[in-house]
Amino acid sequence: MAVKIFIATDRLDSVLEKLSTKIDLLIPASLKDDKSAPTGFVPFVPGTAPAFDRQTTTPLKKALLPQVETLLRFEYHKDPQGSPKSSVTVDDQRQVRPTLVFGARPCDVKALTTLDRVFSNGPYVDPYYVERRKNTLFATLVCRQNDAKCFCTSVGGGPADMEGSHLRIVPVDGGYVVEALSPEAQTLLENLADAPDSARDAQAGQIVEEALKRRVGELDTKGSPEAFRKRFDQTDYWFQMINQCLGCGVCTYVCPTCYCFTITDEVENLKGERLRSWDSCMFYHYTLEASGHNPRPTKLERYRNRVGHKFSYIPERYEGLLGCCGCGRCIRSCPVSIDIRQVVGHLKENTSE
Amino acid sequence: MAVGWVKRSAAHHAVSEIERVEKAVLETSRMQLHKLVEEALPELEMMIGWAESSDPLQTTPIFIRDAKSISKLTCGPLCSQNLTGYLVKPPALDSVPKDAKPIGICVKGCDSRSLVALIQEKFLTRDRVRIFGIPCRGTVDWRKVEKRVQLLNVKSATVEDDWLILDDSGTTHKIALEEVLSRKCLGCRYPNPVIHDVLIGQSATPRSTDLATTYRDVDAIEKEPLEQRLAFWQSELDRCIRCYACRNACPLCVCQDKCIVETREPRWLTQRAGIPEKFLFHFIHAMHLAGRCTGCGECERVCPMEIPVTLIKEKLNKIMEEMLGYAAGLDPDAVPPLLTFNPGETEI
Amino acid sequence: MKDLSPRSSAPADETAATTQGIKIVGFLCNWCSYGGADTAGVCRFKQPTDLRVVRIPCTGRMDPLFIAKSLIYGVDGVLVSGCHPRDCHYAVGNFYARRRMEALKAFLPFMGIDTQRFRYTWVSASEGQQWQKVVTEFSEQIHRLGPNPGLKQRSGDHSIPSIALR
Repeated sequence: MAVKIFIATDRLDSVLEKLSTKIDLLIPASLKDDKSAPTGFVPFVPGTAPAFDRQTTTPLKKALLPQVETLLRFEYHKDPQGSPKSSVTVDDQRQVRPTLVFGARPCDVKALTTLDRVFSNGPYVDPYYVERRKNTLFATLVCRQNDAKCFCTSVGGGPADMEGSHLRIVPVDGGYVVEALSPEAQTLLENLADAPDSARDAQAGQIVEEALKRRVGELDTKGSPEAFRKRFDQTDYWFQMINQCLGCGVCTYVCPTCYCFTITDEVENLKGERLRSWDSCMFYHYTLEASGHNPRPTKLERYRNRVGHKFSYIPERYEGLLGCCGCGRCIRSCPVSIDIRQVVGHLKENTSE
Repeated sequence: MAVGWVKRSAAHHAVSEIERVEKAVLETSRMQLHKLVEEALPELEMMIGWAESSDPLQTTPIFIRDAKSISKLTCGPLCSQNLTGYLVKPPALDSVPKDAKPIGICVKGCDSRSLVALIQEKFLTRDRVRIFGIPCRGTVDWRKVEKRVQLLNVKSATVEDDWLILDDSGTTHKIALEEVLSRKCLGCRYPNPVIHDVLIGQSATPRSTDLATTYRDVDAIEKEPLEQRLAFWQSELDRCIRCYACRNACPLCVCQDKCIVETREPRWLTQRAGIPEKFLFHFIHAMHLAGRCTGCGECERVCPMEIPVTLIKEKLNKIMEEMLGYAAGLDPDAVPPLLTFNPGETEI
Repeated sequence: MKDLSPRSSAPADETAATTQGIKIVGFLCNWCSYGGADTAGVCRFKQPTDLRVVRIPCTGRMDPLFIAKSLIYGVDGVLVSGCHPRDCHYAVGNFYARRRMEALKAFLPFMGIDTQRFRYTWVSASEGQQWQKVVTEFSEQIHRLGPNPGLKQRSGDHSIPSIALR
């Protein structure tokens, strides 16, 4: 029998505090005092009010792929006799602490499976990512607040999809029913709170039932990879769909599945760090080659690549898996209201127009 | 203030007469715009305007070459984007030969000032553009709307008189327009285009005629002690995700791919996402716009993290007005003050 | 650019070399103020040792970026000095610089940076004594202000009161 507990809304802070003594917590919260401010995932400290009522502005991916992470530190040592940079020591020690993400949405958690394919399923396995992945648990909130920009069920997810989750949080009257979905999660719930009463348990069951049936979004991605390839050279199509693009990086930085990064050495005097940081395929410098040639010189090619990557290249490479989790963040945050559903939806429309 | 979701009620009917008139004005402006663009399109290479997007609360820029699409054009308080940046950034103009027909563009009051600034700095010449000026009573900030009412699936958004009326999956929300206007609009001195070929609709009354009203938010910051200001900017700018939307949306941020934050040689900024990096980026972004920024508020509108970035530029605009008596984007023949000098000035 | 490294990552012993660890960066134009500083040196005028000089071709080259970066990354003071107005080697470089630096001076406090940490001045190549006066005064001023608090590397502090905007 699965372990379940009930956390009353007014006890949430103290339960989280208790939980945080066992494991580091990351929770969705406002990034400012003001509750209506943009939200993101932040380390829990007692008193932090979780923002469960809406989707976070910034995605969860930073839990596994931080915006900036130090891959290694290096230092040159001056040799009194030799050249000033005659020896170098490298230190790539890192510490990954076990972390529980409490209250992410199914779309955000499912998105990490796309990152898994890239970083941990080979042929190249990324040790930094894998280590974090192994040490991170996810308590996922059954989603009840999808809006017009969500489309998770059209891309293989759903408001109660628990793929990749270790705990399920169901918002019920007066609190949350939390259920362990894996053995390691069970130990976390021990002595945390009482089991839900039968009425709340039944209500939670009903809510999950309802969420499993709910359809969110109407995008049909079947046949998109082929349709994309056909559209690839149709400059007019891309001009028409996305000429208003500003070429900024909002869509890629708020996207839970965009994982492109750059690696730079930041050196000061004789010491330095090798950093891996988010990059965006929407930027000119992303594809700029050392020769000065840029294979994607304008935003048309760059945006086309973004669509192709998510709806054609990834599905073709990873057995139909889409590079999109349907969270709708790119639509919400786009300064010029580009709707990726329209761009993808129109791919298959009659090409003769 | 009476706001929020009031269902259509008796109170609503009482003001419906004025609303009909106001709605009629908006509708007429839209029709007038369609008619004028239809007449002008044969002489234009392309028409840049606003169209409805998949979200009724927001418009999206549209590039019209074909008379069939003219009906998509719209105008009004939901048309928040400043379109003038498209004139100088690829590939909008790249695809247009220099000797081609002019490009038509819709501008609000603030947008027209950006256009003037671009002409001043010779990014384009006056005869390259056909300007459709649209007097503006302020644009809606959709984030402010979402802070007032939780929206699930907006089916329609219309402006009637002083109200924004939303149909959100069956529920009608009636919100005072004044409450959801963009911050920059509340101190607007130039709601009417300062440069235009044709003017659509009736001219609007400026909300401000003095520096104190226009720069009220700047003054609010300056009332705080130095340490508080630093703390304020540190905490605001800490949210920055370095997506550079503010830079790309700015019509006058013309360095584009040569921006100091991205050049590798010399490398002014590291890839770190610490406060100093973000602070320096926004500091320099503002300095580069000193005496050039027209206060169109695009940088702030596009910020996904809701950082008041326009405010930084507003301070520099205020400095320019107080120190050198210059407001940007009003006179196409003027030279922006930091691009020129006056040997005689000793105590500026 | 040794002196511009972020304070937080700089170990204490690096800064201990100068009095009280105060760091001032001076951007001097090649034709006048650099010569002026040289004159002061040749005349053996006593000068504070906190100043590290960066030679620029002309104050017209003075990008506000240099000043902003220095102050944001923890330098305690920035001094810019060039030819007197109308004496610019390139005729007008310092006229442009003057407007730019006046704007910057007025702008710094808005962002929470003490404007007293920045100063610009005009010193010609023959004015060794004037240079000594300028640099001594500025150094004293910075010593009075103490070390630049600089910026936090990470905030994470959400208790900062927000300022009510429209």
